[in-house]
Amino acid sequence: MKKKVVALLLSALMVVSSLAGCGAETTGSGDASANAGGNAGAAPVADGEVQEITWMFWDDLEATEDLISQGYKQVIDRFNEEYAGVYHCTPITTNLEEYDTKLNALVAAGDTPDLFICNPGPNLTQYVNAGIAADLTDILQNQNADWYGTFTDGIFERITYDGKIMAVPTCFAAACVFYNTQIFEEADAEVPTTYDELLASCQKIQDAGYTPISCSAGTAWCLSMIAGYLCDREGGPDNLAQVNAGEIDWTSETFIAAGYKLQELSQYFQATAAGDSNDQATANFYNGEAAMLVQGSWAIGQINGNNPDFEANCGVFQFPAIEGGADPNRMIVKTDNLVMSATTEHQDAVVALMKMFTDETAQKYIAEVGGKIPVTNVEVDYAVAPAQLSYINDILQNMTGTLGFYNESLASVEAGSTFDNAMVDIFLGNKTPEDAFGSVQTFYEDNVWNQ
Amino acid sequence: MEKILRDKKAIVLFIAPAFIVFTLILLIPVVQVVYYSLCSYDGLMKPTLIGFKNYKDLLLKDETMRIALKNSIFFMLFSAISQQLIGFVLAVLLTNIKKGRNFFKNVYYLPCVLSSAALGLLWAFMFNPKMGLNQILGVFGIEGPLWLVESSGLIPLPMWVIAFVALWQYVGQTMMLYMAQITGLSTELYEAAYIDGASKAQAMRYITLPLSKPMLKTTLSLNCIGSLKFFDLVYNMTQGGPNHRTDVLATHLYQQGFKFFKYGYASAISVVLMILCLIVTVVIDKSIKIDNYEV
Repeated sequence: MKKKVVALLLSALMVVSSLAGCGAETTGSGDASANAGGNAGAAPVADGEVQEITWMFWDDLEATEDLISQGYKQVIDRFNEEYAGVYHCTPITTNLEEYDTKLNALVAAGDTPDLFICNPGPNLTQYVNAGIAADLTDILQNQNADWYGTFTDGIFERITYDGKIMAVPTCFAAACVFYNTQIFEEADAEVPTTYDELLASCQKIQDAGYTPISCSAGTAWCLSMIAGYLCDREGGPDNLAQVNAGEIDWTSETFIAAGYKLQELSQYFQATAAGDSNDQATANFYNGEAAMLVQGSWAIGQINGNNPDFEANCGVFQFPAIEGGADPNRMIVKTDNLVMSATTEHQDAVVALMKMFTDETAQKYIAEVGGKIPVTNVEVDYAVAPAQLSYINDILQNMTGTLGFYNESLASVEAGSTFDNAMVDIFLGNKTPEDAFGSVQTFYEDNVWNQ
Repeated sequence: MEKILRDKKAIVLFIAPAFIVFTLILLIPVVQVVYYSLCSYDGLMKPTLIGFKNYKDLLLKDETMRIALKNSIFFMLFSAISQQLIGFVLAVLLTNIKKGRNFFKNVYYLPCVLSSAALGLLWAFMFNPKMGLNQILGVFGIEGPLWLVESSGLIPLPMWVIAFVALWQYVGQTMMLYMAQITGLSTELYEAAYIDGASKAQAMRYITLPLSKPMLKTTLSLNCIGSLKFFDLVYNMTQGGPNHRTDVLATHLYQQGFKFFKYGYASAISVVLMILCLIVTVVIDKSIKIDNYEV
């Protein structure tokens, strides 16, 4: 009998131990503020014990050549040094293409990192709606008013939901056209201000034996950034606002016209654009194989980090106007944002890390080394900053309005992906602009407007 | 021992751990997946029942699902035919050579034990337009195609490329299984056949082939089920691109679940995948009749 009891106990133990770790419970009450408030400062940590936090980021901090990523690594190192024995941060890193899927897997497993980087728009919205992101309004506006006061005006606009601030930005970037001055000179091409001039310059560059534009359709958002600019130049900002509100169709005139222009422009992309990743397309540009690259100003850190000699030959101009189209001085802009997990048990440590990401040292680095635009009112020495940052600042002086990435300005992550795929279909020649935008229309009819 | 096995309580006790573990890690998740497939479920909030909407959307509206289904079926047919043929021929050849048998056996089987993720990346580099195969072709003045990018045709070029890489990786496994079967056949049968005047080809046709049928059933089932749920090489070589042209059921499932948080919808894909696997298994089981020979 005794043996049977022992055997039974051992069997039960085996089953239980095999299931250990499978019991992760997903978060999500749907009430972000309740979550954040409920856990505020509730760190069940014994005195003298180091509070361990995790931060998830979309680049390998050890291997990266990107200057912005290197700056983030310095922040983590500084944090771990300054708070040695009190707090410690372990970064969780992955490549950009797989970032969202890996983060979502961790979230779904109930293992949300204490702090993670996030794009604005539907990506952030889904974490806000699911109660994954903590409400930072009280932390910023009441508990740390001095810190909050350092941020530039309006920087929280796209990360505020119903008056609640759900993230902290670390840097700001604007999408422009980077160009190789040497190739332009050699091909006798002009810096274009209109779409027709852009086509003329592309032709001259192609005739001179260079690839006019380096673009990644393998990383679809790169292609859809060009498509987004074309849509906006054709009929923005009204067309985007109206289509999201269901007042016009995706098959309306401005979108179709933008589709045909994308088709026209894509004949000047490199032959491998369909499969090239964002990194490969950017490398084509800074290695001198292509004359132009349409990218956000985060690419400055990547370009100068990988090929410092190229900085002197890298010019910047704003995406050209379409004659008879809409306002040409609107810019695609976005911020990198830090989102605090609503379930973190180490809120003080996370806030300390967020402060370090936005302190004077980090923000000066962002501008003066990385070439991105700081989010705080820090004094920047433009004499030491990358030359491209000054060009972008000049362009921003004429800016009349902003828009987010097109795929991040739509109804959901899937809507953005549907738009991206439609643009890739136009580029590949698999669909006409009418059919491609027709597929976005169908998605909106089925999943957005009629829901 | 016999006394213990007559004790029903002891039997229950011995079976219980395996039964409980099997139920918890297989049966319950399968039932859960079937339930989630009938729900709108984002993995974050509570699932809400929506009936068969996921299945309707999946089978009637989802363009990527049609591509993924077509690619998965192509992949299954290609793998089944090519691996059976080449695997069997290699097995016959290797069982008939005396010198270098172990060497070649290891060479053919080696890719099977390597990580698919590493192999996927390796082959992605090999087929990258700026390195690998196209550079070699360039030496001879040949402009190679965009192996992993071409998107035209019913079955686009990248699918053929991935299918060939999968064949290279897994043919060793089929070969080993056939070798195990063939080496287990009695030599007396062959000796008797040769005494009766049979040639080597006739011996193969009338002895080796029919007696390998049980292994045909096993390897064909493994090939087909493995191909239907194939994920790693596709994900590592093309991520389903360009624009979903190389998506298979498993990559589509992964994207819907982990990129769009549509766990209900992803569960419906996995149920379809499970049903396909079951159908294929039943069809193979019913269509291959094994005669009992007295060996």
